Amino acid sequence: MSDLLSNLWLGFSIAGHPINLGFCLLGALVGTLVGVLPGIGTVATIAMLLPITFGLDPVGALIMLAGIYYGAQYGGSTTSILVNIPGEATSVITCLDGHQMARQGRAGAALSIAAIGSFFAGCVATVLVAALGEPLTKVALEFGPAEYFSLMLLGLIFAVVLAKGSVVKSIAMVLTGLLLSTVGSDLDTGAGRMTLGLPELLDGIGFTNVAMGLFGFAEIIRNLESSEVNREVVQSKIRGLMPTRQDLKDSAWPIARGTVLGSLLGILPGGGAVVASFAAYTLEKRLAKNPRRFGHGAIEGVAGPEAANNAAAQTSFIPLLTLGIPPNAVMALMVGAMTIHGIIPGPQVMTKQPELFWGMIASMWFGNLMLVIINLPLVGIWVRLLRVPYRLLFPSIIVFCCIGIYSIDNAPSDVMIAALFGLFGYWLVKHDFEPAPLVLAFVLGPLMEDNLRRAMLIARGDTSVFFTRPISAVLILISVTLLVLALLPMFRKRRDEVFVESEN
Amino acid sequence: MAEETKSSPANGGGLSLRVRGPRDFYGGLFLVALAAFALWAGSDLSGMRGFSFGPGTAPRLFAWLLILVGAAISISGLFVDGPPLESYALRGPAYVICAIIIFAVTIRGFRFTFFGSEMRIPEFGLVVATFLAFMMAALGAPRLRLLESLLAGIAMTLFCVALFRYLLQLPFPLWPNF
Repeated sequence: MSDLLSNLWLGFSIAGHPINLGFCLLGALVGTLVGVLPGIGTVATIAMLLPITFGLDPVGALIMLAGIYYGAQYGGSTTSILVNIPGEATSVITCLDGHQMARQGRAGAALSIAAIGSFFAGCVATVLVAALGEPLTKVALEFGPAEYFSLMLLGLIFAVVLAKGSVVKSIAMVLTGLLLSTVGSDLDTGAGRMTLGLPELLDGIGFTNVAMGLFGFAEIIRNLESSEVNREVVQSKIRGLMPTRQDLKDSAWPIARGTVLGSLLGILPGGGAVVASFAAYTLEKRLAKNPRRFGHGAIEGVAGPEAANNAAAQTSFIPLLTLGIPPNAVMALMVGAMTIHGIIPGPQVMTKQPELFWGMIASMWFGNLMLVIINLPLVGIWVRLLRVPYRLLFPSIIVFCCIGIYSIDNAPSDVMIAALFGLFGYWLVKHDFEPAPLVLAFVLGPLMEDNLRRAMLIARGDTSVFFTRPISAVLILISVTLLVLALLPMFRKRRDEVFVESEN
Repeated sequence: MAEETKSSPANGGGLSLRVRGPRDFYGGLFLVALAAFALWAGSDLSGMRGFSFGPGTAPRLFAWLLILVGAAISISGLFVDGPPLESYALRGPAYVICAIIIFAVTIRGFRFTFFGSEMRIPEFGLVVATFLAFMMAALGAPRLRLLESLLAGIAMTLFCVALFRYLLQLPFPLWPNF
């Protein structure tokens, strides 16, 4: 316990340094600024803003990135509430009741409850990350290649089960992602794999290019299809930012429940944040005395999911920082950013660079605090930004993405690869394939292959190693159970219901 | 004779299979093709050596699994009713992709071989690349307002130069260099 406190103290003293506070503030501001733009999710925002952290020292860069992350998420909620366009999957839920509240003139209350809920969830999750960090790091040291492989398999199965639409199609996306991740030099032998003789492909396909193509460019192409992008920005003046006493009373428990749910789901690899907000919404609706209010501006429908997705966003740092496994696309970008600064995520970060580890954890708390302080007064500016017509917005987004991608390696070929993935993403949407499992598989691919190879080598080619080592066997068992359940007709219906609920 | 015309493919009779779920059918087919392409592209890689993986083992494993799952999706598209194919827009994607490609080839110059002869696009630098890409993308909007886009393009270019070159000091070439 005293260890935890002294570690947190170390973290707070680093994150509280004026310069780092400044980075955190700047990150939260820019993150919100870009995240507010309709149609840009967290992944695209972070990928776009990655270059602005290149010049900083590692601690500052990561603190700023964490700020960008929270800012982007909060920006997404703002767009959901004010224009009914979710920037990404996690804020889809917020649209349902948040936008209804805004239309009833209670946009201020919805925005502040979202911020307060996120802040509370953030505080709890920060402590949780700090508390779980150390024991999990010890567990991680027990992990051999077989365990790592099984854990990542579980993560991918989670992503499949949790993605919306057909389970089989999600599996196909996972395999596509794995296949794409093998392009480039082989780790052991250095042989160029499936490079078609192109030297540009020897380093593999960059993750940022894939993410920007599938999440950034494809989204723009799709938005351009509808002749006039339909956006109804709430026109009425936002009066009274502060929620009433009744609002606070109504949302206190949903926030608490959302926090617990989100913290738990966030730790799971495989896109916990999305499910967290779905689950929190469903829970609140079930518990409500009058479920029919939901979808018509129930404040619980904003408070619960917002708390849940923020808690999950934070606890999803746990697998990354302790095991070195990025549980979702955002964390994969964090890996990229860390590698640029020469840090290899994993259990050794905590012991070798404690100031970085604890500084980043503490900065999560500061980041959340800043969102409450800066964003509520700035709502007016965000609203004005939302009125910028899409015909001017999308060329700017494209240019920004191009510069962002190019700047990572100064490679024009990266920009072209992203364009190709933009087209591929557009095609995927047309055939009802979900890009999220593909991206996660693409990220985990090299790690999985590496661990699979090592496990097989150690076991002298005996595949039973995955079932005889206890931790690995349990992980595989959970994966198989999940997959079977998802394929069973009874549960499938249930699963579809959850997603349908979120769509209408 | 009248009977024969009735069972023509247009009526869905006879031996011809009607694709019931075209989105799944063609979607799965494309993934199978992608995996087959990967198998071909990686055919030079060595596979298992004893019990240790060669560079080709994992890609082949993934590709074959993808062929299996893709085929399953495709076959289910033959027999299970699904939504019809959505039409693709051409205009939006074309301008967006052109804009991105223009940025890629002008920012630092680009070399490529075209029918055996070496071609070279000179380096135009950040200012020109940004502005051209912006304008090209803006052309893809459903309704174009030229003056407005021009002004916005100039503003965006200035903003990017200020931010990336001066504020963040990233090593971009600013001006054309032939």
